[in-house]
Amino acid sequence: MTGSSLTVEGVSKRFGGLLAVNKVSLRAEAGKILSVIGPNGAGKTTFFNLLTGIYEPDEGQILFGNRNITGKKSDSIASLGIGRTFQNIRLFSGMTVLENVLVGHHNRIRTNYASAIFRWGGFGKEERRAEARAHELLRYLQLDERADDLAANLSYGDQRRLEIARALALEPTLLLLDEPAAGMNPQETEDLKHTILALKADLGLTIVLIEHDMAMVMTLSDRITVLEYGSVIADGLPEEVKANPRVIEAYLGKGGANA
Amino acid sequence: MNRFVGAVPATARLAVTVLLLAAMGGFLALGWGAAAVLAAYATLFVLAAFPPDPRWKLAALAVLTLEATLGLASKIGGDLLFIALVGVLVLLLRLPKVAVWLKVLLGAAVLLLGIPIAGFANTFLFELGIQIGIYSAMALGLNVVVGMAGLLDMGYAAFFAIGAYTWAIFGSSQVQHFLTTWVPLNGNFVYLFMGLAILATAATGILIGLPALRLRGDYLAIVTLGLGEVVRILANNLDHPLNLTNGPQGITGITKPPIEGFQALLAALGIPRSASTDYQLFFYLLVLVIIGFIVLVNVNLARSKFGRAWVAIREDEIAAKAMGIPMVKTKLLAFATGAAFSGAMGVLFAAQRGFVSPETFTLTASITILGMVVLGGMGSVPGVILGAAALTILNLDLLKGFSEVLNTMRQDGTVLLGFPMSQLPSQVDPAKYERLVFGIILILMMIFRPEGLIPERRGSREEEA
Repeated sequence: MTGSSLTVEGVSKRFGGLLAVNKVSLRAEAGKILSVIGPNGAGKTTFFNLLTGIYEPDEGQILFGNRNITGKKSDSIASLGIGRTFQNIRLFSGMTVLENVLVGHHNRIRTNYASAIFRWGGFGKEERRAEARAHELLRYLQLDERADDLAANLSYGDQRRLEIARALALEPTLLLLDEPAAGMNPQETEDLKHTILALKADLGLTIVLIEHDMAMVMTLSDRITVLEYGSVIADGLPEEVKANPRVIEAYLGKGGANA
Repeated sequence: MNRFVGAVPATARLAVTVLLLAAMGGFLALGWGAAAVLAAYATLFVLAAFPPDPRWKLAALAVLTLEATLGLASKIGGDLLFIALVGVLVLLLRLPKVAVWLKVLLGAAVLLLGIPIAGFANTFLFELGIQIGIYSAMALGLNVVVGMAGLLDMGYAAFFAIGAYTWAIFGSSQVQHFLTTWVPLNGNFVYLFMGLAILATAATGILIGLPALRLRGDYLAIVTLGLGEVVRILANNLDHPLNLTNGPQGITGITKPPIEGFQALLAALGIPRSASTDYQLFFYLLVLVIIGFIVLVNVNLARSKFGRAWVAIREDEIAAKAMGIPMVKTKLLAFATGAAFSGAMGVLFAAQRGFVSPETFTLTASITILGMVVLGGMGSVPGVILGAAALTILNLDLLKGFSEVLNTMRQDGTVLLGFPMSQLPSQVDPAKYERLVFGIILILMMIFRPEGLIPERRGSREEEA
């Protein structure tokens, strides 16, 4: 599996009088990690919601590989191969860990309605294949021992990793991670860093990451795009962004660089 | 609760069970109906709350089945022992660590021997069993829509009506009101029509669902409620200009399926027969087969990508979409599946009753079926069946029975606690307060067991002792 690139050209989203995302353009190269950072309220999550079809952009276009996905529905974008996690965890909390991953695998399970009702036509084989795949992903994220537990009963860090496992079950070529380290302890963050690097190395996934943990962003990112008040204020290699005075200002306030 | 249970030693629990069963047997022998019923219920309570060793529990259930069947066969204790049989089935379902074939054997004994034997003694019990079956099947269908997919459908009886009228119109002389040359169909077509009704109601479900399923939660409930009423009012008014449904009078003389073959089988097996019980037994067994099939469909769907997608939508619609689950298609599938169950049962209902009228398909009917799902436990197959059994028994048997008792007292001039029962105002009639009792039960359930009698179980693989 190789990653697909993502090209965003001049995308805007307005909520009433608030311009949440303002003519944002960026590009995530295939197989690379792009981080989107910015202060709280900069429009990062809204931007993700535009990419995944939860919102429709008011202007601009989004290209996934060579395919224009602007204004497509959430579920068709997902089935094209964009998996995502949510900042405020959105697991199916009443389902088991395994079932959560199997839901992610929904479109890859080749079963029709009649064969599901009567369990014929290779239903069992397909179901066992899907379960094996789900267990594989759970092992990858060190969650396999919890496979039969309810998702709601997992610890915070485990829930975040389950979100990643579930998104991976889509077999995406682009993975959008919305603050995957939020609420994790330093050890868990460290483990997560290795997992994300492994995803890039093993699966060749393109990854777009929203994250506030700067140490993590700096080590993981191939490129960084910085948003403030819905607009891109900087874009470049980690070192470039780190040294950019506008970025420092955005984070620390005017005169912050001297403080 | 569990600490409390543990405080009673296992031998004591067993001793109490044995004692109660012996007492029940004694009361039956003496012909003390009320005492036997109390002993039976006490046994069930002890077995549920203070279970002895599973194997003993199974044995106790078997003895209880035997005693209850004997009681019912000799008409001691009225219909109340029937509830004990239902209780046996429920406990059987929840019995851990016992070989499955033993459970199946006892379950089959209750369903295929106990209830039919009781039915021969009192044909009302056949009717009760059939109605429980029909409502269970519908509740299982609604369980897909409400329980699994979380789509609140308040107009479910509409599909029941469509199924019932499909057969009612073509299976009676009603058809000649608008197709003068057509002959009422032969009873064998019932089975074909169950298939047709499945297709017709699934299609109607999709048609109604396409606009309605854009809405969520309360809004969907209101729209489906309206659509349910539309179907009922159509049935009520389509007697002119063209007489399709015969309006409020309803359709009578609906053909039943022929049962000559079944009767021959009964004769060959030496089973006692009479004109009324033949049909009752036939429909009872038919409903059992259909329930078995519907349970299978329900369980299989729940454990497939479709069932998982439904639950995912119920849990979090946005996350489900982000997993690539097509919202409209998946919701429509749930709606159509539920509708199909209801439609098929409608055909059976029309054929069994021989009569349909719009009154059966009111909003109250939809709410009753919804109540069965909520009471039993949304998403839980055994729960939903128990909910259907409990409410059907309550409506058809307990409240009416209680009314009869009060009436007898009124007429006999019994004096209860110094109060002459003949003075009891006629408004005090439990059968009239069906909805009130139903409401109270639902409120109590919401307080004490909000997840239903037998909640949906996911995850935990170990069974309750």
